[in-house]
Amino acid sequence: MQRRMRGRGVAASWYGIARTATVDRAGAWAELDDGGTAKVVTGVTEIGEGILTVLAQIAAEELGIRPEDVTIGDNDTARSPEAAHAGATRQTYMIGNSVALACREARARLFAEIAAHWEVDAGALVAFDGELRAQGTNLAMTMAEAVDLCKRRGVVPVGAGHFTAHGTGLNPEDGSGAPWQAYVFGTQVAEVEVDTVTGEVQVLGLWAAHDVGRVINPRGVEGQIEGGVVQGLGQALMEDYQTANGHPVTHGFAKYILPTALDVPEITSILVEDRDPLSPLGAKGIGEPALVPTAPAIINAIHDAVGVRIRSLPATPEKVLAAIAEKQAREAAAAKAAE
Amino acid sequence: MPEMKLEMQVNGRKVMRLADPGQRLLDFLRDELNLTGTKEGCGAGECGTCSVFVDGKLVKSCLMPVAKAQGAEIQTVEGLAKPGELEAIQKAFHKTGASQCGYCIPGMVMAATSVLREAPEASLDEIKERMGGNICRCTGYSKIIEAVALARDVVTGRASPAVLEPETVGESYIGHNVRRLDAPSKVTGRLKYAGDMVMPDMAHMAVLRSPHAHAEIVSIDTSEAEAMAGVACVITAADVPGTDGFGVFVHDQPVMARGKVRHVGEAVAAVAAEDAATARRALTKIKVEYRDLPGLFDPEDALKPGAPVIHDYAPDNMVKHIPIRKGDIEAGFAAADLILEEAFSTQQVEHAYLEPEAGIAYVDHDDVVTVISPSQNITHHRHMLAGILALPINKVRFIMSPVGGGFGGKEDMIYQGMLALAAMKTHRPVRLVFTREESIAASAKRHPSRVTYRMGLTRDGRITAIRFEMLSDGGAYGMSSEGVMRKAAILSCGPYEIENLWIDTRAVYTNNTPSGAFRTFGGMQAQFATESMMDIAAERLGLDPFEIRRRNMMRAGSLTHTQQRLTSASIDRVLEAAEQASRWEPGAPTMRGPMRGDLGGPGTRAPCTLGARFETPKDSKERVA
Ligand code: FES
Ligand code: FES
Repeated sequence: MQRRMRGRGVAASWYGIARTATVDRAGAWAELDDGGTAKVVTGVTEIGEGILTVLAQIAAEELGIRPEDVTIGDNDTARSPEAAHAGATRQTYMIGNSVALACREARARLFAEIAAHWEVDAGALVAFDGELRAQGTNLAMTMAEAVDLCKRRGVVPVGAGHFTAHGTGLNPEDGSGAPWQAYVFGTQVAEVEVDTVTGEVQVLGLWAAHDVGRVINPRGVEGQIEGGVVQGLGQALMEDYQTANGHPVTHGFAKYILPTALDVPEITSILVEDRDPLSPLGAKGIGEPALVPTAPAIINAIHDAVGVRIRSLPATPEKVLAAIAEKQAREAAAAKAAE
Repeated sequence: MPEMKLEMQVNGRKVMRLADPGQRLLDFLRDELNLTGTKEGCGAGECGTCSVFVDGKLVKSCLMPVAKAQGAEIQTVEGLAKPGELEAIQKAFHKTGASQCGYCIPGMVMAATSVLREAPEASLDEIKERMGGNICRCTGYSKIIEAVALARDVVTGRASPAVLEPETVGESYIGHNVRRLDAPSKVTGRLKYAGDMVMPDMAHMAVLRSPHAHAEIVSIDTSEAEAMAGVACVITAADVPGTDGFGVFVHDQPVMARGKVRHVGEAVAAVAAEDAATARRALTKIKVEYRDLPGLFDPEDALKPGAPVIHDYAPDNMVKHIPIRKGDIEAGFAAADLILEEAFSTQQVEHAYLEPEAGIAYVDHDDVVTVISPSQNITHHRHMLAGILALPINKVRFIMSPVGGGFGGKEDMIYQGMLALAAMKTHRPVRLVFTREESIAASAKRHPSRVTYRMGLTRDGRITAIRFEMLSDGGAYGMSSEGVMRKAAILSCGPYEIENLWIDTRAVYTNNTPSGAFRTFGGMQAQFATESMMDIAAERLGLDPFEIRRRNMMRAGSLTHTQQRLTSASIDRVLEAAEQASRWEPGAPTMRGPMRGDLGGPGTRAPCTLGARFETPKDSKERVA
């Protein structure tokens, strides 16, 4: 065997969106505010995934203003409506749709007033990027003017929305049930190089194709995929929390090894859109699903490269070397027996 | 505390303080000067979140005693750009979406600034190498490296500054690369995480943790600690006024150990004091008498008859068993041409969010007990804490501070209860910031799993039956184990339509560090086994890995493992997309690597050889193989 051996592996995956085997729900409030800005309030948002920006984009789109004009008030059980938790790949789906519905209600209030003022049908109004116009006419005004007019007519354009995902529990005997109403699928291909002298595995390329329903922010989705892939890579190759009789042995980052910039492959994300028919936005999610196929894709690639199957994670250099040695001993014994 | 007159230039301003010369430069910047953009991710020189410039050199301020910075010129992330402005590197981070939770980002921006100052012509490989001492848990580094390269090109004049400007919107904000609205606050270090927040009259908490994996608490004597000057209060389980118990599914975990400890690192008592050092000193004065109990450290042992019992309510040590049955597996295996039997295991994994747990609690003017913390589930935490404190729901308030990485690890209410109790006992704001070691020992991990797998297939690669059994170590408390087992079971056999299934997932109690929620919630452990099986089967049957997956994949109208009828299934589309993008060369997975023609093309990087990387001449722009 040569010192450096390359190979490729693939793994597919699936995942459910929002809380499992239960009815999931979230709520939000919206107000079109002075100056054509907006306030959106909801119970849970950012844990780093970029949901604040996604919500601002959704609100901007629904209200016809710009994302930077949206102020999000959030994350306070005494000041904002319940939106449950930040997890379960539910933020875009649950909170995103709640915000969209709240904004639609606020917009409908505003449109009703402007339509009455212009004496047109409210259905003819469209707003985008701070401008409001009535289709088929030359009537137009800024959203700042529209809010001002609406308020002078005595109406504050507010809205509330909530979104429900109808999962069902599992039958305790045979597990049957409909745990989620939206599913996503993903496939990743990994290309690795195995150093047969040190046992070190490098992941050189990774292609990640994921259905996200509908892309709200392409870079944000890529960022989730890249982060998920590298967490998956860490679990595949190096991370290992260990205890000895219950005592943590890997108690700091010197002992608990994490991937660094030097371990990262080139990652190519391919975003597939299979829209969710049961929600206003059609978007699903990506946070968790991104890392599901990474480890098996890498492990399958190691097999492709050097012909050993690692069944126990992580595939540390020691484990890979031992597997190669075992394979070589097996082959030598077989060759001898054949003689 | 010995004090010394410390003088230095910080961000271009002369600074003079009488302070402890033994403290770390990191503490001096954060506590004395309120420059909280410099973060503490590890306190041991291993993560880079605390990076600052000292006399122009990038240093880890957690490793430097402040006395060594006497007379030096210090630059922190706050000093990079004028207030309200961004440097090119910060704009580049904003543009590429390089900040996610943001906790590593000030350190990353500092390391990147150092690259641009010291090696403005650095190649991508050199950038990665120079940034290699900075850990990010969120981004996968790709967009960070992209940002550094972009800023490099602007700074060296290879690209116009216009590349740093936002993209103009087309006809919709949906699908548009709107730059992250929170990025400016993260790249400048302005965003305040819980551990950066201070309140007037705030006390500091330290937690006494169990040195035993399983032991009865015979007695706790806090009198000496309570009598210490500077101590505001000591709390134990005895201070809990309501029903003590929290957990995502079963409320089996007390705010602090009650009667016995079940894992090393479990909270036993806590002290609030004038400063953290006093609080830590007071911990040493708390006397706890333990009586060792036999421990359980292997999930298989937990199921043996006569095994020690960890929770009285669960005499069999079972946290949760989820069964799924579909079709007739006997018939399925009988119809198989090939039956594969394998076993797989996955390890316990640390979330390693760069922001250690932190929080502040106070009682407000309306007697509302308020907890500010990076909690991923303020809704549920409020419910549970109201019960623990025996207060009406509207007298408990949770505010979610910016989360410096969660990944499921901040769904468990492992410290907020202590903060609330101390705030109620002292009527002062109380802050707690975990050390990295504390975070690792006390927080939940990804469930380690053992899977035994039996798969039957026809010669043409159709799966006829699967028997899937997974045993997981739930550790000392239930936390999210129930949900993790449920999700693992539902997703176990992958995106394939399989007529005959028999699935069991089980989590058991042991005296190991608890397992809990972690990104994928059991989904990756289960599907690691399934996707390994698919390739093993493909090899045995001489099928291409994509082909065997296609022959079994779910479609619109398929019945899932839980017998849900799917109205759509995009698995065919993602398989095709990955196959095409990677220019996959078809063939059975029989150690084909050496013969493949699709390796090393677009979408791959050059391998790096350890050592050679470090011998690169500074001016080299070549990739080093
Ligand atoms: S390197 Fe200083 S806090 Fe991690
Ligand atoms: S953005 Fe780097 S640790 Fe979160």
